[in-house]
Amino acid sequence: MTASRRDTFGPALLALFLLCAGGAASWFLVAPSLSEPVAPGYDIERMVLYYSTLPRLATALLAGAALALSGALFQQVLRNPLADPTTLGVSAGANLAIVVTSLFLPGLLGAGRDVVALIGSAAAAVIVVSLGARRGFSPYSLVLSGLVLSLWCGGLAAILTYLNQKYLASLFIWGAGSLAQQSWVIPLSLVWKLAVVAIICGLVIRPLSLIDLGESSSSALGVRLVRLRVVVIACAVSLAAFVTSAVGVIGFIGLVAPTIARLAGARRPAQLIFWSPLIGAGLLFFADSVLQLVAGGFGEFLPTGAVTAIFGSPLLLALLPRLKIRHRIQAAPVWKRARRWDAKVPIAVAAVALVFLLLISIFVGRGVDGSWVLVFGDYSRDILAIRTPKIFAVLASGAMLAVAGSILQRLTGNEMASPEVMGISAGATFGVAVALFAIAPGFSGQFAFAMIGAIIVVSIILLGARRSGFAPERVLLAGIALSAMVDAVVGVLSSTGDPRAVLLMRWMSGSTYLVDGTSAIAEVAFATILIAAALAARHWLDILPLGPAPSAAVGIPLAKSRLALFGLAGLLTAAATLTVGPLSFVGLMGPHLAREAGLTRAMPQMIGAALIGGGLMVAADFVGRTIVSPYQIPAGLVSTLIGAPFLMLMMRRKA
Amino acid sequence: MTSVQLAHEALDTTQVFAIDKVGLSIDGNAILSDVGLDFPAGEVVALVGHNGSGKSSLLKILARQLTPTTGSVAYAGRDLKDYDGRDFARSVAYLPQDLSTGSEMTIRELVGCGRYPWHGALGRFSAIDRKKVEEAIKATHIGRFADRVVGTLSGGERQRAWIAMLIAQDARCLLLDEPTAALDIAHQIEVLSLVRRLAHEGGRSVIIVLHDINMAARFCDRIHALKGGRVVASGTPADILVPDTLRAIYGIDMDVIATSSLSHPLAYAR
Repeated sequence: MTASRRDTFGPALLALFLLCAGGAASWFLVAPSLSEPVAPGYDIERMVLYYSTLPRLATALLAGAALALSGALFQQVLRNPLADPTTLGVSAGANLAIVVTSLFLPGLLGAGRDVVALIGSAAAAVIVVSLGARRGFSPYSLVLSGLVLSLWCGGLAAILTYLNQKYLASLFIWGAGSLAQQSWVIPLSLVWKLAVVAIICGLVIRPLSLIDLGESSSSALGVRLVRLRVVVIACAVSLAAFVTSAVGVIGFIGLVAPTIARLAGARRPAQLIFWSPLIGAGLLFFADSVLQLVAGGFGEFLPTGAVTAIFGSPLLLALLPRLKIRHRIQAAPVWKRARRWDAKVPIAVAAVALVFLLLISIFVGRGVDGSWVLVFGDYSRDILAIRTPKIFAVLASGAMLAVAGSILQRLTGNEMASPEVMGISAGATFGVAVALFAIAPGFSGQFAFAMIGAIIVVSIILLGARRSGFAPERVLLAGIALSAMVDAVVGVLSSTGDPRAVLLMRWMSGSTYLVDGTSAIAEVAFATILIAAALAARHWLDILPLGPAPSAAVGIPLAKSRLALFGLAGLLTAAATLTVGPLSFVGLMGPHLAREAGLTRAMPQMIGAALIGGGLMVAADFVGRTIVSPYQIPAGLVSTLIGAPFLMLMMRRKA
Repeated sequence: MTSVQLAHEALDTTQVFAIDKVGLSIDGNAILSDVGLDFPAGEVVALVGHNGSGKSSLLKILARQLTPTTGSVAYAGRDLKDYDGRDFARSVAYLPQDLSTGSEMTIRELVGCGRYPWHGALGRFSAIDRKKVEEAIKATHIGRFADRVVGTLSGGERQRAWIAMLIAQDARCLLLDEPTAALDIAHQIEVLSLVRRLAHEGGRSVIIVLHDINMAARFCDRIHALKGGRVVASGTPADILVPDTLRAIYGIDMDVIATSSLSHPLAYAR
């Protein structure tokens, strides 16, 4: 029994420490107004204390506990250390549902904000979990589909925000997770919701612990798995929905709190589920009171959710090497289709389709009155001079991302790898964000910063991989952490109201608005050189997926080849991200589609992926330009919106 | 409660499982067809066959992990469909092939999981439960490392810990899917002796999937052999270990040799 006592000690100490630290920080917040003598009659100080500061602290405690509990439940029931409301797309689903409702059916929101959030997050959970169930709840595909869905919802919400900026300014601050309160209504309603779910958790804790034995053993012991899963997931989803509807998306608490609890020694599921909420409450409480102290009056508008993500994600990165990945990754069933045709056939088809797409995209558009017109006659020269560079820039970017994706998938032996998922795009974005806010350089300066950002991420991945040997979960988790951090930074910058934030947002959504002749030529030149370099490394890429030992055994210089190929992928990503933003998903779709078409060797796969990726981006650009003409939807966003559901469908079929 | 008592009373009769014309097909591929077998109570019965012969699938059907496409399976005279999950788990325990799970628990916690069918989701972990756990730990000789974490054990120790969980479950019938697959010869003998002792001294029935025909002959009372999803042979080890039958099972020329130190002949490939 000593073992279990020791297991409890660590998490208890940590929770106590966090709560005390939060308490101390919040004491500094409330002390000034408490020390004032009570003014008779109308006392603003007191009112702010009673109806804003204190409810806010209470909300922080409750929201932190609820999110951490939700994360712990998800992690236990799905047997997946990466699961939480953010990575499973549940929060994003709730967020999108509320954005859509507030735009189109605002009346509904007054009636039942919680209900709207619940519907959104339940829909997200059903999609993600049903996809995961088809692949035996493999940790990968679950988090991957969650992330994809998350990005999809985020993308759609971004488009709506973009098209209706003036209505949604406050929604945007809320979406980034602001804890500011004006009364006790929200914390009080959270209390009973949290209590109900906690009671249900207590009732199912026994069978939930048995899930650790694996599906067949727990069902052999008489656990009704389906019913248990439905109940627990419903609990976790409702917690996430309640919090999202009350205070917006607060990322990472649900992932970080159980992770910390586990590192502090919580081992049994019951311990994890008991201590995670306490640690989560302490974390958010501490973070929010420190934030209010530091930011002063400005703190009202600084979204806490974004700030926790800024601090939470590096913490997670630092903890990664210590995190024991306790669940073995289930190998996805290998599903090889016999190749029915020569590699040349799909490549030729893709090439012809691409040329056709290019012709349509260049010469077809919407006229002033919205009708479809072919470009010819008087103005054709002027129109083409504006349109052609954009088309070729997106073509080059799509091709580069797809090739980068092929390289990364082969290097890591992980078919879910891609610049977007691994955070390399996020690194490039971060570089550009820094560039925009610090020195506002031109195209070449932005490229330099994007490159530095991408290379930094690549080196972090390389350094981490030295110890874990590209353990796919770690690489993925690192990517999630980085992407979330970038999102958070952009969220914070945007809520400051800085005009450059609009520029950054437009750029992140993959708008080609600012592309001109010279930058297009630069993109095409980069694409040609870098893709040629990738094709030259085809032999390495054929052999490396076999793993380090066989590759070294046939004489490949392991360290050197990996370094070169990772560097190449970083450059490709940085160059492409400049035009189409970090969210396009072409780097994941291109190689996948090429493989589906039967292109398995490195050389044909890369060529096919480049053609398909380029074609996808051109199509996305065309759709974005014409679908709500005269408005333009950024090509990057369109490709996210089309690509993400497509990718999920594909994962579904492959199961 | 009545169904449990029924199950235990029925066990005093001659057989645990009765399989009638069972067929299983997954995605149009026939895994099992027209399998009819009886499993006498109190015996160790081996299921043998080549890779993909359907022996593991048959065991999963007995454990209710898979539902047969056609035919019926009865345990203690009642159709498997009529059992409730926990009721069934009190009578029949199942050890899957893949035991990589649960490696964060201590041995004692793992063995304690076997008591779930008895106390359920809300019941108290009673003194009886605790006693059964201790007995199971003692029976499998894992007392020395009962407070260690499962992940730190060797293959044989881990195997014994899981079997202890099945014993704590207090089931009258154990279904074991290749419990010796990853073990060296010494540990194979150790685990299989334990299994045989549990059956013959504890009055339990055991159905075990085995690769090694010689191990099956040495430790089991009866052998059912499958080939391509059909029963090809069924009988005592002496009936099975004859050249013609072995050839029918494995599809290669085999022979047997008698040794003075063993009670049964040894099979080998010619």
